[in-house]
Amino acid sequence: MTADLKTAKSSGDTEPTSAFTTMPLWLVVMTMLVLFWGTISFDQHGAWFEPRVYEPYESVADLQRFQPRSGGQSVLLRGKTLFDSNCALCHGTDGLGKPNQAPPLAGSEWVLAKGVNRLVRIPSVGLSGPVEVKGQQFNLSMAAMGAAYSHEDLAAVLSYIRNSWGNKASIVTPDQVKKVRADLAGRTQPYSPDELKTLPEE
Amino acid sequence: MKASAIVFLAAFLVLVSSWAGLVLTPQLQLGGVTQTNILGSSDLYPVMRPGMARQGLEVYRANGCMYCHSQQVSQDATHCEIILTDPGTNAVATLAALGSLNTELAKPATLADLPKTILTVADMNAADPVLKTLHGAGAQVEVHVVPQGPDIARGWGRRRTVAQDYLYDDPVQLGVRRIGPDLANEGNFKPDAGWQYRHLYAPASETPGSQMPPYRFLFETRKIVREPSPDALKLSGDLAPAAGYEVVPKPEARALVAYLMSLRADAPLFEAPVTSLAASTSAPDTNAPAATSSSK
Repeated sequence: MTADLKTAKSSGDTEPTSAFTTMPLWLVVMTMLVLFWGTISFDQHGAWFEPRVYEPYESVADLQRFQPRSGGQSVLLRGKTLFDSNCALCHGTDGLGKPNQAPPLAGSEWVLAKGVNRLVRIPSVGLSGPVEVKGQQFNLSMAAMGAAYSHEDLAAVLSYIRNSWGNKASIVTPDQVKKVRADLAGRTQPYSPDELKTLPEE
Repeated sequence: MKASAIVFLAAFLVLVSSWAGLVLTPQLQLGGVTQTNILGSSDLYPVMRPGMARQGLEVYRANGCMYCHSQQVSQDATHCEIILTDPGTNAVATLAALGSLNTELAKPATLADLPKTILTVADMNAADPVLKTLHGAGAQVEVHVVPQGPDIARGWGRRRTVAQDYLYDDPVQLGVRRIGPDLANEGNFKPDAGWQYRHLYAPASETPGSQMPPYRFLFETRKIVREPSPDALKLSGDLAPAAGYEVVPKPEARALVAYLMSLRADAPLFEAPVTSLAASTSAPDTNAPAATSSSK
């Protein structure tokens, strides 16, 4: 066989033939090293085909490190949940309101007021009468949507609208809500915007 | 050929292994993805896009938006930010607690302009002792999970995108090139339909320097009969139509904009945890849609 090959090479015009030869040792070692590196890398970063693990996470345990604590839902998240289920129908999940119906909350001077003395009263007993928000007139009464909320829940919703859609204002605490509600003293009649304006902001 | 059986077998194995890697394994991994819950809530995710938006996907596809816009946000790392929302009634105790965490925090300026991020820690486990210390001093603190990465810094999303986000898209418009910005969260960052219409009509008028071609064939210039249409585009300068005429979007443009507004891949999921309100961190300061990433 070897002799045949040699003659074929030298003459150069006969058909080439194939034969089994041994694989070079360096190639074997190299292949083993690449496979070794591949397995290690897969074990460390591949999460063993776990479909829930994406970059930059490396395992389910890694993901667990960033899961929110049960029961420790943040005030703003709680506020979002409440807002989306009760307020968003009119004011929109984007806080832009509805033309001629519900005023926007994003950028609203009523929402972004320094203190929340006026703001707490609106969902607590409602608002009725013409109101100007961001230079636009609205005249459709709002029911006392937040009357049944606990102080904590109302504080969460107000904190959410004061810190969403580009709004940035202080967080409302349950104590602030409690104080203003105590001042309402059983009032059930909605406020008019003009009456609210006579009250101090803080 | 002597080794034909071996050649055939080798070729067959190569094909089978690539099929197993590219088709079978992904199918086994993600073929069973179904609607799930948003983290910490009972809301379902994702929800089927509304009818108009589903038609908009066809318009998006037909106009090849995918050749310049991707819909995939990447993420390099994640950390937790500790946000002080209320110093409590005893400011001295709060400052002392802050000082025990980091001496630089123990000054009255830390308690101004709340809520704000006071510390950045590696994960929830590292955040727990910090929370305990600050709660002990009577302060109100929140922990936000904040993904990090170049795409997130550009404002293209709050977290990376995952398979779940595309569950109801057929075909998925992932895109491969970014001649324009990523659109995975377009509905969150440009929620103004009027802006979207004007941008489609004349991109450079809304984002100076934009390379996007105008899509004016999606609009109609027509004579105003009696009252101007409420949907007419608010155009100014050279773009404004002749007096007595108005530019209104055709149904295709309405569907496309409905689709763009429905792109909101930011719900917190188990596989992509994020605190959905980055209110005090990287959110833009205003709702003004003019600030875009494409010109940067």
